[in-house]
Amino acid sequence: MRKLVCALTWVVAVAVSSWPCSSFAADASADQLYGSLAKLPADQRAKRIEEGARKEGKLNFVHTWRGKNARDHVRLFEKRYPFLKVDMGDLGSQDAAERFIAEETAGRHLTDILTLGVPDMAVILKQNLVAKFPTPSTKKILKQYQGFIDPENRWIPWYWAEHGISYNTNLIKPDKAPKTWFDLCKPEFKGQVSFDPSETRFLAGLYVMMGEEKTKEWLKCIGQNQPIIQQGHTQRMELMLTGDHALQGDNYFYSGMEAKKKDPKAPFAMVLTAPILSFAGGMIINKNTQNPHASALFVDWTLSEDSQNLINGILRGPLTIKHPFLPDNIKLVTYNIVSDEITKRLHEAWNQYIGRLK
Amino acid sequence: MATNSLRWGTGIRPPLLSGGGIVLIGLSVILLYQVLVPLVLIVWTSLKTIRPGEPGFLELSFTFSNYVRAYGIREFWESSLNTVYFALSSTLCAFLAGTFLAWTVERTNTPLARLIGMITLGRIIIPGVIITIAWILTASPSIGVLNHIINSLTGVPRFFNIYSFGGMVWVQSLEMTPLAYLLMSAAMKSIDPRLEEASSIAGAGTWPTFRRVTLPLILPATAAAALLLFIQTVESFEVPLLLGGRARVAVYTTQVYFNTSRMPTDWGLSSTYSMVLLLLAMALLYVYFRLVRHGERYQTITGKDYRPRRIDLGRWKYLTCALSLLLVFLITGLPFLTMLYASLLRRFQPPTAEALQAMTFSNYANLLADDGYALKPLWNSTLLGVGSASVVMLLVAGISYFVHKTRLSGRKCLDFLGFAPIALPSVVLGSAFMWLYLLIPLPVIGTLSIIGLAYLTRYLPFALRFVSTSMVQIHSELEEAAAVAGGGWWRNFYHIYLPLLRPGLMAGWFWVMVHAYRELTISLMLARSNNRTASVIIFDLWSNGSFQQLSAFGVVMFTVLIVLVSIAQRISARYGIQEQI
Repeated sequence: MRKLVCALTWVVAVAVSSWPCSSFAADASADQLYGSLAKLPADQRAKRIEEGARKEGKLNFVHTWRGKNARDHVRLFEKRYPFLKVDMGDLGSQDAAERFIAEETAGRHLTDILTLGVPDMAVILKQNLVAKFPTPSTKKILKQYQGFIDPENRWIPWYWAEHGISYNTNLIKPDKAPKTWFDLCKPEFKGQVSFDPSETRFLAGLYVMMGEEKTKEWLKCIGQNQPIIQQGHTQRMELMLTGDHALQGDNYFYSGMEAKKKDPKAPFAMVLTAPILSFAGGMIINKNTQNPHASALFVDWTLSEDSQNLINGILRGPLTIKHPFLPDNIKLVTYNIVSDEITKRLHEAWNQYIGRLK
Repeated sequence: MATNSLRWGTGIRPPLLSGGGIVLIGLSVILLYQVLVPLVLIVWTSLKTIRPGEPGFLELSFTFSNYVRAYGIREFWESSLNTVYFALSSTLCAFLAGTFLAWTVERTNTPLARLIGMITLGRIIIPGVIITIAWILTASPSIGVLNHIINSLTGVPRFFNIYSFGGMVWVQSLEMTPLAYLLMSAAMKSIDPRLEEASSIAGAGTWPTFRRVTLPLILPATAAAALLLFIQTVESFEVPLLLGGRARVAVYTTQVYFNTSRMPTDWGLSSTYSMVLLLLAMALLYVYFRLVRHGERYQTITGKDYRPRRIDLGRWKYLTCALSLLLVFLITGLPFLTMLYASLLRRFQPPTAEALQAMTFSNYANLLADDGYALKPLWNSTLLGVGSASVVMLLVAGISYFVHKTRLSGRKCLDFLGFAPIALPSVVLGSAFMWLYLLIPLPVIGTLSIIGLAYLTRYLPFALRFVSTSMVQIHSELEEAAAVAGGGWWRNFYHIYLPLLRPGLMAGWFWVMVHAYRELTISLMLARSNNRTASVIIFDLWSNGSFQQLSAFGVVMFTVLIVLVSIAQRISARYGIQEQI
């Protein structure tokens, strides 16, 4: 048996060690390249990036928007830069990160860029898999969203997403709707408020908004009010709009607004008096990217007018222009990454008060 | 003792030099590569706290800390107990319903039997997510159409609650019934009716004949069905996730999901959890072998010709027809109608005059728009479904021959290897294949081949039970006669076993093809831009929240699969007519 194990180990080890090393990494690191590009004037930098991208001719990109939105986004880029062939995969944030880590751990540099919700990036950043990419394009980001920018240039924010409270107007009249996060604990909403199972991106937002103790207090009172826990943001929204339950304790507003766009009679309303939790979607470039210029070109482009207008058109949050449906006077809680220890404690509190499946 | 048993058992003719010997070696190599390598990777990972690919992962130092973490918590044991109740209840209900339908369709003169059979099988084609959602829309306390009707007729609100343990068992049972039907109908097709006729002549009525003749003859199929239904329910995810969450019933899969779904995935913990399923599969396989250890008792297909005979139920046939129609309506009709209805809406709403007026084909048009993005995955799935089903069935035909028709030592290892992947949750199997081909430099990443290879492993156990059930019913005297007449192994296998295995092979082929078409978890883990499958599109539509467009895609997929199955049935009918002895 021991011989068999040794033989198997040997086969795998030989296979791994014989895999060809990256061609680009042998020449120069992406970090060095982007560092030197950052020293150039903006127009020269852009020219150098485009020339380099032309030579590379391709880009492997993992989008975490799924389906048509992702395809439209990449098509728009390809229309602007037809010399680049983009090989796009679309995966959920967690799957994308997991696959990226697996590829890099195995020494297979198959992905040039991926986009993730910034609160989900902690593990990738910890493993030092990301190139630092200083870019002048972040100067276009509106003042209220500049908190999304990473001072170390490890990710480039390119849109933002909102978590907030919303309700079915057929089941709750606006004057009876909750006004604050703690209103969700009121007895009249018992068994009527839905959430996804515990998510780092939501818990991190609560923590930034109200601190650890208040967050735990809130989780406790929510747990006592018999929340509905069901997997899938958009499905929960659909069920709420159908009348299955009355309130979304935490969900993206855009899915409700999309339903309203399709059918203006959709019974959807947002609670804008309570603070809205917001985090950015960030682009990260693989430290071992095989196409560093094409990667840079794409990441810069995501903050261009074309890209931001597309974001606006599909009701997501653009960073360089006004939001498509949210008014200016909302209370916005912006956040990026919360430490592992705090996140762990918040998940434990969720499990304690709300339960894994309760 | 059978001639082949003598030949293979005593070494009169060296097995490795015969045609069968070559096939045996080929099968063993395929099984070792397809099953043992991922299995070793998973067991290895369960004994490591280091992720695959990281330094030290290949070192021969192991730890049980994953086992302590996985099984040292109270929630695990609570959810395991729930799982046992859930799986036993669902298995029993599905088995009874499936056996009743199989008996009605194959063994009685019930009117509309063929139609009932077809509609039952049609259910397998509809993706599980859609079924579960359809039942939420049908029997949710707040929005369920049935509750609305009952409330308006009787004034009783919230009569049904699909978000309950009973609701979970109900939906899961209906989900599993077609599998039970497929397995049992393949066995019932192969019963020599003269045995039942003899019972009738001896004065036994319909029920005693069924109980004392038919039931014992289908024991292998019964054991196989119970085995597969139980394990598949333990593995089920959609119903526990979508209904169990609201019902506050945690089962094994949801417990594993919530314990391992934080980023980065804890592969050690995930692999450790799959060890429970592996042990369970081994235990159940042992019980199965004990039950069917006297294989010769179930051999009903002999050298004597027979014609299928249907039992005349008299006036009772109308009752069996009504009951069967009600069952197939619940199993297939209701979810399909919900899917069709939803596919014609912009936003889901109960069926009112206003909703009917607002119906549209725009969801179908959207599928064809956008450069027909849904068409290539449909084609990919067709290739994968047909290809993997055909390869898997050929493999299992060979495996079950060696397991049930020879006395080779180690034949049960073949069966175990073929059956072992049932213990591996799709997510674990998918990750094993992802890691395997990240580590082994074969150019399969991003191609259909990697998904096809994973499907091969995934569906071996199910296909094996389908064919084994038919294999044990074939009497060895047929092969003995052919061997005496000078037929070689290949010739005998091709001309005797393959045609006689047709019910099991076709049932298994259909089951694998449809499930490969529907498979999501593995496809999602291994999909890149060029090898996306139909189920990945379903997930896209599902995660983007467009239940209406998802339903439209489900209807299209249903239609494509019905066409494929019809073609397969025509081919098989032609083959059967030519080759049947």
